[in-house]
Amino acid sequence: MADFDAIVVGSGMSGGWSAKELAERGLKVLVLERGPEIVPDRDYTDTIPPWERPNLDRVPEEEIERHYPKQYGGVAYAIKETTKHFWVKDDEHPYEEAEGTRYDWLRGYHTGGRSIMWSRQAYRLGPQDFEANEREGVGVDWPVRYEDIAPWYDHVERFAGIAGSAEGLAQLPDGVFQPAFALTCAEEEFKARVEAAFPGRNVIPARVAHITAATEEQRALGRSNCRVRDRCEHGCVFRAYFSSLNATLPAARRTGNLTLVHNAIVQSIDYDPGTARVTGVRVIDAVSKRTRTYTTRVLFLNASTIASAMILLQSASEAFPNGLANRSDQVGRNLMDHVSGAGASGLIAGFENRTVFGRRPGGIYIPRYANITEHDKPYLRGFGFQGGGTPVGAGGGVAGIGRAFKEAHRAPAPWRVSIGAFGEQLPHPDNRVTLHPSRRDSWGNPIAVFDVTYGDNERIMLAEARKDAIAMLEAAGCTDIRSAEVDLTPPGNRIHEMGSARMGRDPATSVLNGWCQAHDVANLFVTDGSFMASSACQNPSLTYMAFSARAANHAADLMAEGGL
Amino acid sequence: MRAVLSPAPPEGSRMISRRDVIRNLVISLGGSSLLSACGGRVTLQALAPDAGARFYGERELAVLSRVSDLLLPRTETPGALDVHVPALLDGLMAEWANAETRAQHRASLAALDEALGIRAGGDFLAAPDPVAERALAAVDADAFGGEPVEGYRDLKALVTQAYFATEGGAVDEQGWVAVPGRWDPCADR
Repeated sequence: MADFDAIVVGSGMSGGWSAKELAERGLKVLVLERGPEIVPDRDYTDTIPPWERPNLDRVPEEEIERHYPKQYGGVAYAIKETTKHFWVKDDEHPYEEAEGTRYDWLRGYHTGGRSIMWSRQAYRLGPQDFEANEREGVGVDWPVRYEDIAPWYDHVERFAGIAGSAEGLAQLPDGVFQPAFALTCAEEEFKARVEAAFPGRNVIPARVAHITAATEEQRALGRSNCRVRDRCEHGCVFRAYFSSLNATLPAARRTGNLTLVHNAIVQSIDYDPGTARVTGVRVIDAVSKRTRTYTTRVLFLNASTIASAMILLQSASEAFPNGLANRSDQVGRNLMDHVSGAGASGLIAGFENRTVFGRRPGGIYIPRYANITEHDKPYLRGFGFQGGGTPVGAGGGVAGIGRAFKEAHRAPAPWRVSIGAFGEQLPHPDNRVTLHPSRRDSWGNPIAVFDVTYGDNERIMLAEARKDAIAMLEAAGCTDIRSAEVDLTPPGNRIHEMGSARMGRDPATSVLNGWCQAHDVANLFVTDGSFMASSACQNPSLTYMAFSARAANHAADLMAEGGL
Repeated sequence: MRAVLSPAPPEGSRMISRRDVIRNLVISLGGSSLLSACGGRVTLQALAPDAGARFYGERELAVLSRVSDLLLPRTETPGALDVHVPALLDGLMAEWANAETRAQHRASLAALDEALGIRAGGDFLAAPDPVAERALAAVDADAFGGEPVEGYRDLKALVTQAYFATEGGAVDEQGWVAVPGRWDPCADR
């Protein structure tokens, strides 16, 4: 008899959902988290006022150089003295990049993973995103369509709490929303003028995973409305934004079916060729280095796109010489992220006697219009813009001294509108992560080797996005328009890595079926970003949540029917 | 894109705090500047929360203090010296900065000292208040117009950031609210 009905590897954005859904279906669930425990009362730092954070909350420069060179290079804004414990130390978690390439692998290992530090932007994929690969002959066809996932988007949005506005846009379907954070007056003006000048484009409030009208279910979990403080990367004592720690893990815990073990690094998966089933996982304790095996009836890999692929590759056997469930040789391949590095900003006049109150979690979003309402583009797919229009702070960067200078920081200030593109990356089999042939980490596991580069479509698309941004600011009557030359963010930098165990219709060219279930191993599911067959341009976490909930309930159905 | 300003809390909602006591105490001692330039030595004892600087030499600290005071003087709200900006920057340089940053910061302060001395027609620290103020105003105007003094704008930004990161700067001067509790996208100034 197996130790557990289900093991979930990883307690982050998708693992929390797998655990919650499986536990709520009555299954005994073990969640294995490789990092240490985060205890909100002890480790959340969102209530510490600025003046109680020494040295402007900066991490000493020598410490950055020694411990966080990669993390800081990617997410400097998020690595403070009071948040550094949420990010890995690069010297303890090294990786390599193929010569001439750069990959930013930005992450933290602890309860909840990056669901603690994410930017909480939450958008559905649209019908076009599931159809694009087939229509354009790129990658492999998604084995599902939007209609299959829509009810699960409803399900996860209702639980998580998404603040957004119904807009009726086909390419960015509306969801189950709580009241949105309204546009500023400058943004309303920008919206009106851009939509008049470009009828196929829309400027809408960003959709964010923040509670603004807490439901009974959310209150029962100890969650309440967002207090508009902008302290999210430090955790949230109000549990107002969605994270595993704030929402799904507590829900799983209250079923009585959850066991959560920390400092548990999965090294490999045990597979029984006789039954063609996974039987368990081999784990090394991060602190004691002791090893043990946990057995299970069904396994959910939610270790994140890179780590799940690596675990599969580390689980080669006679039956699967290329890695578990990797008959297709697609595990680790088709690695995608989103690409940024194109944008513009400009001053917008007329609001000098207005300001904002509160520090909201999101600004505006311009949903993809390229190859949706506007055609004949020199690139496939498209991009969305994130940004906002707010009063500009003086920040010491203005002339003057004395009272006038001091009070310039509260005097009427110009408003600046700023937008930056998030573009889709096409899948390519040579964009991949592999296991280093010889180099091991402290726990004896191979370190990752990345080899990812952008293609022409990404470069051309971002160049056009920059032109579009400037044109929109001009149409809105902005002045002092500034736009740096396009400088593509490195792969990985948007922290939306996905595609390393893609789903598809054909086991010869894909790892998973439409249920995130391995084609060749019926009791193995991978529901983190690995399953994505294309990247779309929308922030992907909401999609990982929906697919995880759907897959977990399917697995529970199969188990109830005796199929697993 | 970040909002800079939250309006001051409503009248009557603030409690008397330690910073109010300190401000009242210092005001009762008289003088518009918290520094007295007596024969070239600047008295700072009452201003630094810790005894002795860990990074700055005596003159460096004195120059930084006078510049901070002129940039962000006490008005109806605390000034840079009320909230111990020089001490904060001393700690920053001692604990946060690496060797290269420290060297750059030192060089900026030295260049500023020299430039201020030229414009003050002598030792900046010994100059009377109006002369010192005009000298700094001239350096500042050059930095945003003509010929910038090396590192001045970064130094100014750092002093300003440190000031607004204190309770006096954030709450008293800028009206920062710890828990806004609501979002108003288009409020009156």
